[in-house]
Amino acid sequence: MNVIFAVATGLMFALGVFQLLRRDMIKSAMGFYILFTAINLFFFAVGAFNGQVPAYSQNLSVGQPSDPLVQALILTAIVISFGSYAILLGLIAISARRYKTADLDTLDQLKG
Amino acid sequence: MLPNNPFVLGPIFFPLCAAALCILFAHFRRVQRIIGVSATILAWLSSLVILALNWTDGLQLYRLGGWMPPYGIVLAPDMLAAIFTAMASTVVMGGAIYILGCRDKCVTYPAFMPLYLCMACGLHGAFYTGDIFTLFVFQELMIMSSVVLVAISDNRLGVEAAIKYLLISAMGSLFLLLGIGAIYASFGTLTLADIARLLESGERPLLAQTAAVLLMCAFLLKSAVFPFHFWQPDFHTAAPTPVHAVLSSVVVKVGVYGLIRLTMLLFIAEAPLVRNLLLLLGIIGIFFGSLAALRTYDAKRMLAYSTFGQIGFILLGIGWGTPLALIGAIVYAVNHAFIKSSLLMITGALASHMQNKSAKLKDIGGAGRNFPVLGGLYLVGGLALAGVPPLNGFISKLSIIRGGIDAQGWILLGLAVAAGLITLLYVVRTWQHIFQQNPVDQLYLKAQGDSLVAPLMLLGLCVLFGLFAVPLVEAATIAVTRLNDPQSYIRAVLGG
Repeated sequence: MNVIFAVATGLMFALGVFQLLRRDMIKSAMGFYILFTAINLFFFAVGAFNGQVPAYSQNLSVGQPSDPLVQALILTAIVISFGSYAILLGLIAISARRYKTADLDTLDQLKG
Repeated sequence: MLPNNPFVLGPIFFPLCAAALCILFAHFRRVQRIIGVSATILAWLSSLVILALNWTDGLQLYRLGGWMPPYGIVLAPDMLAAIFTAMASTVVMGGAIYILGCRDKCVTYPAFMPLYLCMACGLHGAFYTGDIFTLFVFQELMIMSSVVLVAISDNRLGVEAAIKYLLISAMGSLFLLLGIGAIYASFGTLTLADIARLLESGERPLLAQTAAVLLMCAFLLKSAVFPFHFWQPDFHTAAPTPVHAVLSSVVVKVGVYGLIRLTMLLFIAEAPLVRNLLLLLGIIGIFFGSLAALRTYDAKRMLAYSTFGQIGFILLGIGWGTPLALIGAIVYAVNHAFIKSSLLMITGALASHMQNKSAKLKDIGGAGRNFPVLGGLYLVGGLALAGVPPLNGFISKLSIIRGGIDAQGWILLGLAVAAGLITLLYVVRTWQHIFQQNPVDQLYLKAQGDSLVAPLMLLGLCVLFGLFAVPLVEAATIAVTRLNDPQSYIRAVLGG
């Protein structure tokens, strides 16, 4: 299972970095979100395979409980990444209207 | 075991609650402003209380929810964090006072004050927290709100700058989050003190060293050091004046604070390697920043480039790593915050007299002839930046040089002093261009500009810390003495 997660995380990182470096702003926003998902997957792999039973439950079954903290961290990270993704998309929409372009290469009026 | 100190919550919760209240009073601008300014003043007062308590009693603690660290989140301002927060909250308060007298259109938006307060909350929280994941959360809060603040700026290019910064800083947060994941994978804890304890016991998995690299990249990106610097002038130039003052003077210091923590608390064994790298990046930053400031076309942009150069001096202090050099770095960081914020506010106040609010040298050249008061203030601030006695810039340059002599870094010291002269050059050149020359075209200036209360206050602090430098240097000395004893920090936070 660990190997599958490692390969999946690596693939998503590669995909995310490739998309992030595209010229099209919407594609690079997608890449941004894929990268954050890759990190969430990494967090999940950190704590997912150590336990057999849920951490908090009424019937105390025997066995090693799983780590609840990684899940809390992933939830927080999802909220944050979702927020920044939303802001990014909003900014892209405004810039498309204001500068009439969604191409990062033509968006260079600040140069100097 | 230390008791919980409720004052620790002040700098974080006053701005946060005030931001929520400001949203409730979205359409009553006056109420919003009263809430905002009083919250920043309360935050400032409580950060001073924490500083004073740190001075007399040592580390202050607040365990959120009553959970003991390492199980719960803990806010643990030691002397270093207390100094940085006192500096940050002073500048934030100055910015809030500037907002009152600001004539930009964007400060009248109902969202402006809540966003500004959220940025303050994230800034103070990032300094105070003793938990690395909370550090990430506070940093994100700070980044999100500053991105939106720049996007709603009067400058038409604000959105472009905001997109650039959001993409780049998101990469920075990504590095930070990945580093946090790597640390959690290797140690199973997120409290700084607990990580330091485990690292000290000699346990050093490969993943933890990767985490050191990732965290360092994240912090270097936050303070816009050489390979990660390109976003900074763009982003800062497009910001509204009060936000620009906060961004360019204290927000970049979060990275500096992180680097000090990284080398002095967490990765002490890897510190020599990190320090050598910081020395190299610092000296590149000093030259690149100063020379770029000399050649730029915009008075605000010049100050943004100058921040880039001044951060280089601070990195030199951290890079030398001896106690005297670290004292120099802390003193430099604090003094630079006051100088840079006051200079930016003065430039902003002058630009507010222009019809299009531009600070481009070709527009603004000669505009200052009608404002002798502004010219005098700009000169004082500029000389402080260049390090002319008796202003506080001199004290900070002096303490960095003292640290360099102590660390025997002769070549870098010589280069840094030489580059310090470039600072004088670009400041005086810009001053002459704005306040001494005759304007090229006929200028149509507005009679009413931004209020000068906030820059006067911050400039007063510059002069004050130049004449009475002893308390600041003493505070930095205490901070460095305590930093050199990470054991006591670990014991104080974890208890027992």
